Amino acid sequence: MIGFIKKDLAMIKSNFKLLAVLIVVYAIMGLMDKMDISFILPFMCVMIMISSFSYENYNKWDAYSISLPNGRKNSVKSKYITTILMTLIVSIITIILSFIISYVNTQTINYEKILVTMFGTIFGTLLVLTIMYPIIYKFGVEKARIGIFLLVFGIVIIGSLLANFVNLSSILKSLAFLEDYLIIILIIVAIIMVYGSYKISEKIFNKKEF
Amino acid sequence: MENILEIKNLCKKYDNFELKNVSFTLPKGMIMGFIGENGAGKTTTIKAILDIIKSYSGEIKIFGLDNRKDDEKIKEDIGVVLDDMFFPEILTPNDINNTMQGIYKNWDTKMFNDYLKEFSLLPNKQIKTFSKGMRKKLEIATAISHHPKLLILDEPTSGLDPVARAEVIQIFQNFIEKDDCSIILSSHITADLEHIADYITFINNGEIVLSKITNELLDKYGIVKCTEKEFKDINKKDYVKYKKSKYEYEVLIPNKKEFKTKYNISIIDKITLDDLMVLMIKGEE
Repeated sequence: MIGFIKKDLAMIKSNFKLLAVLIVVYAIMGLMDKMDISFILPFMCVMIMISSFSYENYNKWDAYSISLPNGRKNSVKSKYITTILMTLIVSIITIILSFIISYVNTQTINYEKILVTMFGTIFGTLLVLTIMYPIIYKFGVEKARIGIFLLVFGIVIIGSLLANFVNLSSILKSLAFLEDYLIIILIIVAIIMVYGSYKISEKIFNKKEF
Repeated sequence: MENILEIKNLCKKYDNFELKNVSFTLPKGMIMGFIGENGAGKTTTIKAILDIIKSYSGEIKIFGLDNRKDDEKIKEDIGVVLDDMFFPEILTPNDINNTMQGIYKNWDTKMFNDYLKEFSLLPNKQIKTFSKGMRKKLEIATAISHHPKLLILDEPTSGLDPVARAEVIQIFQNFIEKDDCSIILSSHITADLEHIADYITFINNGEIVLSKITNELLDKYGIVKCTEKEFKDINKKDYVKYKKSKYEYEVLIPNKKEFKTKYNISIIDKITLDDLMVLMIKGEE
């Protein structure tokens, strides 16, 4: 397993510089009180990992990996672990930077706002992973890109239709009591959806013919 | 003799191709040349051995263990060079070394680095900067640096020039001398196999046509070149296939010695694996 994670990290090491530049840009923009781009950083991790699928596909790594001990199991597992690991590390760096920026700009740290924003971002990032990875394993990264476009388009259409026919504000009001538990709920939902996504991807990969 | 690999009645159906009851064995310490034309079923058989393809029937035993049930245990002792399948080309030999350290219990970093030096492969260069011959050498170094007991090589010399091909074959020969290892080596370039393979298994159109000891095959089989009249005198039982050309008949016979005692035909040529393949595939019965 460690070997597969090392390989995934080696695949994306050339993007570490890009991430470092983005973190610096975020810090500068934050200190200048210009614009909050913190949400981009964790998302970048997933996008970088998704791009690594293209290289693997080109050299038929998936088929080769099965010839290695425990290859079928670890190939998928390592992708999820590396993505989550990257997302969490970048998110922690972003949170620490946000604390510093908040303190420098206002002499106080707005813990709640920063944490809620970051947990929301991490949740969104994991949602992308949850949806994208099984699609990539099933249809390949090229088709998955079209798939994600159709998916987002579908969500927007369904969302706007729902907004017309359902009274969203009353639903949100009735759910207001959950606000205190928001972060815990997000964590539980994220764990369930990522685990479910992993199991689906694993099943797809196990049945795959190369 | 202990068998490293045993395949019994392997079947796999695709829309336009089928593996039909493929069966053969590879004894310990032997090198098997797995020959056949492109699309004959060599790669499909190898993929089944490694469980890369699914939904096949039949039994595959490696080191006496079931290839699906004991997957992890078996693959610790297998090295592979697969046609067009490898690490992503943005990685470097160093990345491969780091990865394999975490995958194989017996990974030998020193051995891998020694091979990199021997093959003049720079450890920090991306694979995509290597020539085809260099890539193949890297694939071989990767396949043998955990001291495998079985090497599975699918077309390891395909696409290489004669010099690189000779180098690659030499690497295998050197490796066999050092490590007690069995090899199954698929190739449609049969000249590579005549000198190193102990066994030849020939697959055609998804079926095993023959699986024999190389020397026995090359010594016993022969090609008779004769006239039409002479050919008509040969009993069907005494030849395998024949090919009619403008001036003569080329007849593949399974036993030169026996043939000489029965017929008064003096031109019996030695057979090469190429001749055997061509006559078996293109010849008439």
